[in-house]
Amino acid sequence: MDIEYIDLKECILAENEGDAQEVRDLLKEKNVILWNVMSSPGSGKTTFITDVIKRLGSQFRFGVIEADIESTVDAEKMHALGIPTVQLRTGGGCHLDAAMTMEALAKMPLDDLDVLIIENVGNLVCPAEFDVGANIATMLLSIPEGDDKCIKYPLMFTVTKAVFVTKMDVAPYFDFNFEALEKNSHRLNNDLRIFPVSVKTGEGMDEAVEWLKQQFN
Amino acid sequence: MHELPFTKGIFKSVMRKAESVNATGINRVVLEIGVLHDFIPEFVQRYWDFISRGTIAEGSRVEIRWKNATVMCGQCNTQFEVDKETMTDPKCPSCGYEFGTMLSGNELRIIGIEIVKE
Repeated sequence: MDIEYIDLKECILAENEGDAQEVRDLLKEKNVILWNVMSSPGSGKTTFITDVIKRLGSQFRFGVIEADIESTVDAEKMHALGIPTVQLRTGGGCHLDAAMTMEALAKMPLDDLDVLIIENVGNLVCPAEFDVGANIATMLLSIPEGDDKCIKYPLMFTVTKAVFVTKMDVAPYFDFNFEALEKNSHRLNNDLRIFPVSVKTGEGMDEAVEWLKQQFN
Repeated sequence: MHELPFTKGIFKSVMRKAESVNATGINRVVLEIGVLHDFIPEFVQRYWDFISRGTIAEGSRVEIRWKNATVMCGQCNTQFEVDKETMTDPKCPSCGYEFGTMLSGNELRIIGIEIVKE
């Protein structure tokens, strides 16, 4: 009996990376920007995305991929706005991967879209690990969640270009420290943009939408 | 729970390699994981034991080697390494600046397997 050690250099996510490249190639050909929106559950992704679509709907043609562990609640809300929507149910899975994105693309009228939004599964760990083939990755962090999330979930804060701090209207009732968020998140992602927003009062939405517009163009 | 899909991917790659060299058993799998990943080694092992049951990998050990991350200083562009501890409070060794950009730390690799041949 022989025991042998074999050196390897194999990326564990090689398959997903290949799929993500396929997604990017297809969308480039179709001239569609893919925007990945990540956050914890309940941070206000659907509300934020809906507001962005309302504000930019006359300039860009949007489509939405809704990823949820169960239910079609969010997709129904999008559908009510007349936005092409595909619901992906991960059936217990905690994230979306590039193969699932590809599956959703097949059901989307890509020729009639400018921006495709992925509302990812609410989770700050797993979605950060999987490249879905997006051109822009951003996250939401709501006021009640607290400013220390970037210390607890460092990977998420390094894979995103911007953080939209949502529910600013309730900020007076919480001790959310913006200085701490800025300091801690810029330690590993110095270029990260932080936008305090409230869809309810409209606070900060002009700036956030203006930045998004630049990313879509 | 995100360790499960990763462990499935690792199992697939390891089995492919082991079969290609006609291994009759697998003793050990060595992974290199960037410190930015929130991996719990005990969970990886637990999922591995479950997935590998009844195969030539049954009873094998999964060893995780953490790989330090590289940060580029936002002020003087010096590149330096941080580990799991210093990652939350990095400081540039040249100028002392506290803010930078991650250049690596996101690795997820299988770097070796120990196999048995009859």
